[in-house]
Amino acid sequence: MYGIPQEMGPVGFDPSIFLLSGYLLGMLVGLISLALVVGLVTLPLFFFVLFLIEQVSRVVAGTTGAFVSKLVLIMFRGLRRSPLRTSLTYLALFVLTTVLVFLYTILTFIGNVTAEKEANFKAIVTHKTVIPSQIKPGYYNQFKDLVLNGLPPDMRPVNGENDIMSWSFVGGSTDPINKRPDNALFMFCMEPQKITTMMDGLDDLTGDEKRIIDDGIEKMLANKQAIVVSQSRLKKLNVRVGQKIKLYGLNYPDMIFEFEIVGSLPDGKYEGVGFMNKDYLDQLLKTMPADYLMQDKALNLIWVRLPNKMAFERLSAMVDDPKNFNSPPIKMETASSGIGSWMEAYKDIFFGMKYILTPAMVGIMCLVIANAISIGVRERRTEMAVLKVLGFQPRHVMALVLGEAVLVGLLAGGMAAFLSWFGIGNLKMQIAFFGAFIVPWQALVYGPALGVGVAFLGSLGPALSAKNVRVAEVFARVA
Amino acid sequence: MPRAIVEVRDLHKSFTRGSETIDVLQGLTLDVGEGEFLALMGPSGSGKTTLLNLIAGLDRPTAGTISVGENVISDMSESELARWRTRHVGFVFQFYYLLPVLTAYENVELPLLLLPLTKEQRRKQVETALDLVGLTNRMDHRPGQLSGGQQQRVGIARAMVTDPTLIVADEPTGDLDTKSADEILRLMEILRAQLNKTIIMVTHDPKAAARAQRILHLEKGQLVLDTAAVGV
Ligand SMILES: Nc1ncnc2c1ncn2[C@@H]1O[C@H](COP(=O)(O)OP(=O)(O)O)[C@@H](O)[C@H]1O
Ligand SMILES: [Mg+2]
Repeated sequence: MYGIPQEMGPVGFDPSIFLLSGYLLGMLVGLISLALVVGLVTLPLFFFVLFLIEQVSRVVAGTTGAFVSKLVLIMFRGLRRSPLRTSLTYLALFVLTTVLVFLYTILTFIGNVTAEKEANFKAIVTHKTVIPSQIKPGYYNQFKDLVLNGLPPDMRPVNGENDIMSWSFVGGSTDPINKRPDNALFMFCMEPQKITTMMDGLDDLTGDEKRIIDDGIEKMLANKQAIVVSQSRLKKLNVRVGQKIKLYGLNYPDMIFEFEIVGSLPDGKYEGVGFMNKDYLDQLLKTMPADYLMQDKALNLIWVRLPNKMAFERLSAMVDDPKNFNSPPIKMETASSGIGSWMEAYKDIFFGMKYILTPAMVGIMCLVIANAISIGVRERRTEMAVLKVLGFQPRHVMALVLGEAVLVGLLAGGMAAFLSWFGIGNLKMQIAFFGAFIVPWQALVYGPALGVGVAFLGSLGPALSAKNVRVAEVFARVA
Repeated sequence: MPRAIVEVRDLHKSFTRGSETIDVLQGLTLDVGEGEFLALMGPSGSGKTTLLNLIAGLDRPTAGTISVGENVISDMSESELARWRTRHVGFVFQFYYLLPVLTAYENVELPLLLLPLTKEQRRKQVETALDLVGLTNRMDHRPGQLSGGQQQRVGIARAMVTDPTLIVADEPTGDLDTKSADEILRLMEILRAQLNKTIIMVTHDPKAAARAQRILHLEKGQLVLDTAAVGV
C-alpha cells in the first residue's frame, strides 16, 4: 500500500520468480547490446586517449631516455599496429566492465535498501493485523512519549520530536452527491513542518522549489485550513492557488472540509495528492459525535527516524508490548523489512548474479583476452625472439605482452566505469521511495581494476609462452 | 693465423623430435682468429645455423665447450648468456628482423638500451653506426618504408652498434638482389678491415663466400673442408 510489495502467497511457490529471471535475462542481453554500441561509439575516443598517453610516454622517453619508458613506447606501438585486435580486446573488456558495474550497482542498491542506512533509519508503526492500518489518534502522543522519554537517551531520535510524524489519509470530493475519481482529492494529513523533514523527495529540495514549499508550509502553520496540492491535481480539479474549496469526506463520511489552497508541490513529487494540517482534522473530529465511526481510526501510520538498529529493536519490543498498546495492537517495521522479505524470495537469483554470473563472465572474458593476446604473441614470436637475441631478458618480453593487455584493460575498464557512472548519475532514476538509482563512485575504482585484472589474467598464459620462446628454435629452421 | 678468439672443442648438438634423436653436430672442433672473416657453407640442414647459434650463445651444446674471448659460454646460464650477447655479439639475420613498430634509429638503439649509457652516448653510437651503413638520412623511417637492402644495412648497424667482439650473420644476403648483396658484403669487409671485427657468415652463395678469408664446409655434422679463400 505504501510501495512495499505484497507478501508471498500461502502456496509457498511463487511463479513470478520465472518472470523475474526472464526480465533479468532480457535486461542482461539489452545491457550487453547497449554496452557494445557504446563501446563501438567510444572506440575513436579510446584510440585518441591511447595516442595521448603514447605522446606523453614518447616525451618522457625522449627526455629521460629511461628504459621503462622505451618499453612502454614499444607497447603502445604494438597496440596501434593491429588496430582490429586491439579494438576487439577493448570492446570485450568494455562490455564486461559495463555489465559488471551494473551488477555491482544493482547489488549495492539492493544491499542499501535491505540494510537501511544507519543514519536515516526510518520505521513505520501500523495496526498489527489490519490492512489498511487504522489506529487511535491518541496513540501518536503515547508513542511520542515512549520514544522521547521511554528509550535510553542514546537511542532517541537525533532531532527529537522532529523525527516523529503522524500520518493520516484524507480523501474528499468537491461534489457532495456525485463523488467520482475526477472530482476527488486525496491528502496526507500531518504536521506541516514535517513535510520537509520527514518526506522523502521533499527533504532535499533546493532553490526555487525549496522556497515555494517552505512558503506553503509557513502558510499552513499560520492557517489550519491551508493546503498545498500537486499541480496536476489542481489542473484536474480546475482550481488555482489562492482559491478556497469545499471537500465532502470520502473515508470521513459526513465530514465537510473547507480548505484554502496556498501552494503547490514541485513537479514530479507526490503527483496527484496534497498535504493538509493535522490540527484541522483534529478540530473537525472534535465537532463530530463521540461515537463517530472515525474517532478511533483517524491515524493511519506513525513514522519515526531512529539513530540505529539497536534503537529500532528496543522500540519495536516496546511497541509490541500489550502493556503499552493493546487495543488495537500495533507493530513497527522498517521500510526495508518489507523489501527484505520480498528479497528473500529472490535471493537465489541475487546469489546467482553474485557468485555464478559474475565469475562466469570474468572467466569467459579471460579466455577471450587470452585468445586475442595469444594470437598476437604467435604473430610476433620472431620479434620476441629477436629481442631476446639482442639481450633482452625473458621478464622484459613478458612485461611487453602483459603491459599491452593491461593498458587496454585499464582504459577499457576506466572508460566503461566512468561512462556508466556519469550516464546513470545524470539520469537520476528514482526507484519507489528508496532514493535515486546511481552507480556508486567506488565503481570508478573497481572498473579499471577489473579491466586490469582480467587483462592481466587473460594475458598471463600468452605472456609466459612469449617469455619462454626458445630463440634457437625460432631461427634454426627458418633459414 | 692470429690468436683465436672463438674456440670450439669437440662440439656435439642433438635434438630430439618425438622418439627420434638427430645428432646435428658430432664432435666439431674449430678456431676462429681475432679479426677473421669466416664463411660457413654446406647443404641445407647440415647444421650451419645450429653451429652459429651455439657460438653466439643462443643455445647450449649437448657436449663440448665453446669459448669466446675470455668467456666459456658453454658454461653460462640463460640470463648470463643474454647479458653476454648484448656486449659481445652482433647478429645479422637473413630476413633482417627489425621491429616494424620502431624507426631505423630506434631499431639500432634497441641493444644499447640494455647498457648503462646516457642518452647522449647512445645517440652518438647510433649515429656513428647509421653513418657507417650510409643511412643517416633514413633514420626516422620505419622498416616498412625501406628496401630490403636498406633494412639489412639497418640490421648491420644494429649488430655493430654495441661494438661487439663477434658478428654472426646467417645468410645475410640470401634474400637480396646482387647489387644489395654486394653492398652488404662490402660492409662486412669494412667491419673486418677497419674495425677489426671477427665475422662468421653462413652463406649458400659461393661468390659471397669468396669475399671471406676462409671458407668452412659443414656436412653431416662435421667440418669436411677448410679452404683459405683467395679473396680479400
Ligand atoms: N630446435 C630444433 N629442434 C629439432 N630439430 C632441429 C632444431 N633446430 C634444428 N633442427 C634440425 O637440425 C638440423 C640442422 O638444422 P639447421 O642448423 O637449421 O641447418 P642449416 O642452417 O644448415 O640449414 C635440421 O635437420 C633441423 O631440422
Ligand atoms: Mg640455416
